[in-house]
Amino acid sequence: MNEAFQKDCLEILAGKVERGEISRRRFTQLAAMLLAGAPLALRAGAASAADQQLVLVNWGGDALKAYDQAYGQSFLKETGITVKEDGTGPTEGAITAQFKSGKPTWDLVDADPFSAISLGKQGMIEPVDYKLVDKSKMRSGFGWDYAASTYFFSYVIAYDAKKFGANPPTGMADFFDVKKFPGKRSMYKWGVGMWEAALLADGVAPDKLYPLDLKRAHDKIAAFKDNVVSYWGGGAASQQVMLSGDASMAIIWSTRASLLDKDSAGQVKFIWDQGLISPGALAVIKNNPGGKDAAMKFIASTSDPQKQLVMFDMLGQGPANPATDALIPADKKKYNPVDPANMKAQIALDMPWYADNYGAALDAFTKIISA
Amino acid sequence: MTTQRLAAATTPSSLTGEGSSQAAGLASDGRAEPGGRMTGRGASKWVGLCFIAPLIAFLALVYVIPLAGVAEWSVTLPKPGVGQYERLASDPLVLSVFLRTFRICAIVTATSVAAAYAIAYVWVRGTRMQRRLTELCILIPFLISILTRAFGWLALLSNRGLVNSWLQASGLIDSPLQLTYNEFSVILGMTHVLIPFAAFPLASAMRAVDERVLLAARGLGASRLRIFWSVFLPMTASGVIGAALIVFVFTLGFFVTPAILGGGRSIMAAELVYLRMFQSPDWGLGAAVSVTLVVIVGLLMAALFRLARPALLGGAR
Repeated sequence: MNEAFQKDCLEILAGKVERGEISRRRFTQLAAMLLAGAPLALRAGAASAADQQLVLVNWGGDALKAYDQAYGQSFLKETGITVKEDGTGPTEGAITAQFKSGKPTWDLVDADPFSAISLGKQGMIEPVDYKLVDKSKMRSGFGWDYAASTYFFSYVIAYDAKKFGANPPTGMADFFDVKKFPGKRSMYKWGVGMWEAALLADGVAPDKLYPLDLKRAHDKIAAFKDNVVSYWGGGAASQQVMLSGDASMAIIWSTRASLLDKDSAGQVKFIWDQGLISPGALAVIKNNPGGKDAAMKFIASTSDPQKQLVMFDMLGQGPANPATDALIPADKKKYNPVDPANMKAQIALDMPWYADNYGAALDAFTKIISA
Repeated sequence: MTTQRLAAATTPSSLTGEGSSQAAGLASDGRAEPGGRMTGRGASKWVGLCFIAPLIAFLALVYVIPLAGVAEWSVTLPKPGVGQYERLASDPLVLSVFLRTFRICAIVTATSVAAAYAIAYVWVRGTRMQRRLTELCILIPFLISILTRAFGWLALLSNRGLVNSWLQASGLIDSPLQLTYNEFSVILGMTHVLIPFAAFPLASAMRAVDERVLLAARGLGASRLRIFWSVFLPMTASGVIGAALIVFVFTLGFFVTPAILGGGRSIMAAELVYLRMFQSPDWGLGAAVSVTLVVIVGLLMAALFRLARPALLGGAR
């Protein structure tokens, strides 16, 4: 699972809302979300679904408000169905528990597509009804049997512009080259995107990546280990490691890279080249209390470009509907991970591969980095 | 000052307490106390039980029952049997994480108890000013969120942090020292968090020391160092054991501090459970790791109550 990203978006939002004046309580809440031990505080207010109501479970905090403003309120106006946001955090474990209880209280989950696919194959997720959900309003290749993409982010290279400003890196080979680009590196603790980065650096062609040659990727990562100062687990830590100068290059989420680009006064910049595109998605739990069709209708309603624009502005997430790209002002296009110009330079993560292989791959990865 | 403390620390019972039993356990102090305790002991037992009954029921509901569920997972997922425990025993990742966890926890226990002993000593036996100051220095960090403190250490110790800037400005080093994202920073950050937890039981053990015993030692011609080693330290030994066990049990479950300061390269047991439960869902193995940790913590708690109960209860006077 890769849910740490979704949590991170909420934190970014909180930072924006509070303009750096984060109270201790807020910070603690964010910590719970960011570090994901168990967001118990949020669980207390858990909503439960009934008639004419859908429970959308995401990662909590102020983004509950964002989801409500962008999607929830207009859905109520259009259909009369209330959408309650619940910030419990739909981890793969939590969704499984919901389904296995026999009486799920959740309808929709903001989950990683590969989790949804994997759980769907085990019969816990309702297949997306593409008669109700318009596939043509999605980027091609990002509507799966058990999940419909609703936003995008990328794993991109952020670099110390003071050191490499004159001659910035151009791809993963440079990330793994400490002779040409001296200094320490930082990578993602939960593996996603890191295997691809290692293989690209090792000379594998972008269109030949999948199925991933894990042995080759792990050899590369193991050999490079001494150059990695930290494996970040949350967005704040990834920003910190670049700002503090502990790393001269890091592979981080594009939402965080954009913030660094805007806020670090030119100290940290990032490139889209060989960035790894990662979709976020909504999925419907099987036997959901609010009814399958209502949940599908909600997914369909999120494809509206105006609504997705709100999410881009607030959270920096790339829109799922390509029609939204054109609505983004020219000066902000460079922060849209799926803008046509940026998307060309990148490679999309293969969700079906992750659905089948992620658990075992992460085990092996963890053994290497924490040995 | 001394007479004041002397009066405060002196109870009739401590007059009867023999030196050796004082050193072994301060409970003798309380148990020997005449009157009071004895009257209505049977009734107070039931009243006491009534008072804690809601707590017991609450803990059973929200803690024991779910925990039993976790224990069940560990022997039923994905199939019944002790397969997960066999995996746990033979999985090199699990073994290395447990070894690292125990190593770090042992070091952190030693450093924080040692530091807390010195701090508690000043807190209990210093001048009025010193005591107030120590109190503030213990309490203020205690109230700040663990996460804030972890990021505080990062800011302080990073390549462009205060420590490295000072060292470089003073010409002591040329290039920044790597002070973060390693076991050193994990141990430092955890010690910082745990010092108050060790200082409280130590301070109560020290408060319970009978001043007149120290005066007697002095009167018999012992040097200050001798008094400390032969009298004061043995008399507070049960406090040290109590503090060490409390700290050690706490360290085993640490999540936030090692996750941030360790930079993903020093994964500890709690994070391993998280990994198994959420990142690569494998509830059976995650549950087995949890149960193993709980068993270890349980054994340690049993030892805690056996060895250090006198210090913990005696200090509450």
